[in-house]
Amino acid sequence: MWDTLIIQPMTNLLLWIYDSLGHGPHMFGLAIILFTILVRLVTWPLNASQVKGAQAMQELQNDKEWQEIQKKYAKDKEKLAQEQMRIYKERGINPFASCLPTLIQFPVIIGLYQSITRALSATPFDMLKLARTMYPFQVVENIIPLNSKFLWMDLGRPESIQVLGFALPTLAIIVALTTYVQSKLTMPATSNPNDQSAQMAGMMSIYMPLLLGWFALNFASGISVYFITSNVLGIVQYAATGRANWSSLIPGSNKKTSSKK
Amino acid sequence: MNTKRLILISLLVLLGTLFLSACSGGQVSNNWHGLAADAERAYLSSGAFVYAIDVKTGKQVWQYPAEADSKLMFYATPILTADGQLLIGSAGTHHPFTSLDPATGKEKWAESFTKNKGAWLSTPLVFNDTIYAPNTDGFLYMMDMNGKESADPIELGGALWSAPTTDGSLLYVTSLDHHVHIIDPANSAVNKSINLGGAAPSSPVIAKGGVYVGSFASTIEFVTSAGESKTIATADNWIWGSPVLDGDTLYYADLKGNIISLDVASGKQNWNATQKDDAVIASLLLHGDQIYAATEAGNFIAFDREGKLVWEKNVGGSLYTTPVVSGEHILVAPYQAEFALAAYDKDGKQAWTFTPEK
Repeated sequence: MWDTLIIQPMTNLLLWIYDSLGHGPHMFGLAIILFTILVRLVTWPLNASQVKGAQAMQELQNDKEWQEIQKKYAKDKEKLAQEQMRIYKERGINPFASCLPTLIQFPVIIGLYQSITRALSATPFDMLKLARTMYPFQVVENIIPLNSKFLWMDLGRPESIQVLGFALPTLAIIVALTTYVQSKLTMPATSNPNDQSAQMAGMMSIYMPLLLGWFALNFASGISVYFITSNVLGIVQYAATGRANWSSLIPGSNKKTSSKK
Repeated sequence: MNTKRLILISLLVLLGTLFLSACSGGQVSNNWHGLAADAERAYLSSGAFVYAIDVKTGKQVWQYPAEADSKLMFYATPILTADGQLLIGSAGTHHPFTSLDPATGKEKWAESFTKNKGAWLSTPLVFNDTIYAPNTDGFLYMMDMNGKESADPIELGGALWSAPTTDGSLLYVTSLDHHVHIIDPANSAVNKSINLGGAAPSSPVIAKGGVYVGSFASTIEFVTSAGESKTIATADNWIWGSPVLDGDTLYYADLKGNIISLDVASGKQNWNATQKDDAVIASLLLHGDQIYAATEAGNFIAFDREGKLVWEKNVGGSLYTTPVVSGEHILVAPYQAEFALAAYDKDGKQAWTFTPEK
């Protein structure tokens, strides 16, 4: 089921893009980037709702009623949570809207990882699986084996650059940084240290970069190309709304920013 | 730690675990077994270990390494040399090329060869006291019989999955880059590289004046030693295993399940024993008066030279590894089966099976 619904279409699409690009050096990396753009386009409504949800949360921080309940129930967390939920419900705000799209990305990430490793076929058994994955109309004899080189990377292996004798995992660092930037930009600013949804978003902005950075460190660099492209597109999409909270990128500045508003 | 933080961390750990389980096999991919044998022992490379098995009893003689090392994986077919070495390279995250004592499994070389950047998936060729070892990094490495580099490696391009073959003067090396490369071992020069139209995962077979080679272009090409090529047969699907030549008859198979006998002189098929809904990845084996085919559906089949079915056994699992002969037995190594190795006599009677100890 997973293979038929996720891996097979993804692998076929990736190879179709690769073939269309002329299947030369660096083209598989470019295919992953184009594939990521396509995924972002398909999930545009989801990302748009993430942006909308984050904006609504930010606007809520300056709302009088919201600020009043923060003060009024500052010492009664249970009541505060009830009141917050009431306001969320009344105004049609989903406090988790800014987190869910990130989590929903996971099946795509897992599927893409498997598609990349299958497409690159490191062993005869992988190659045989690839042969079975291809749709009948795809003629892959001409493009197999795929050229896994992209810039300085081998997309089938974890990436690092030798700097003064040390293996510097540049992609893993860029993945962690861009994930941090994206999650911080979309994170709702809050004036209340007890706001649980903001706390959760704050934790996501720390754990997600670490988690994705760790994936980038240990797995095929093709997946890092996906992470970085996806993050950059997410940042651009959010910045295009004109609501990006750039100052929130500085750790600890989130509360100050919201209080200025 | 509050509840939401706990939920969030649990969720991330769960997702991480899901990702890792989905990706298991990614860094060190799985592959089918490699199999070689002499008159006394079978040598099976099977993931973390290389096993030596007594061919008379089916009992394990030794395993290498003694303890599993997560960085080492063995899938290539080991090769026995005339001077008593068993050569095998690793396809794990570390790629040493090692010489073992076939009798004991002890390392013969103090330092394994590690200049290569890629995995060892192919069997090396020993020719004129030189080890020619193709690597997935696209280089053909040359070592003396003590594992010391004897010449600069030859860059061929594309992953090299198959053993080189020699006609006694030239080497023929196939590559996934769609080419068969003709190399003069006297000066380590590539004389010619001939495009086959598709990746070539298996070795060419030596013929008079050249080689026959199959590829994913679903053709059998005859490539002369001068580098000229001619398509002599087409298939319904990829040709994975090496063809087998016997006089003027060439036997080959494809992923569509066709097992074909071809008269190379006339270019006409003698017979085609199609295995419906099955595929043949392993090379065919010609032994005595029978042709043996191992299929993906786990069937081990014997034909006579006229293409008549002699017997058929379902071994279980998938048969991707080329069967080998040892004494009275024909050995097959099923993949993802209850056992890793089985011995049959020429009448199809199973003599023993071998399952690695856990």
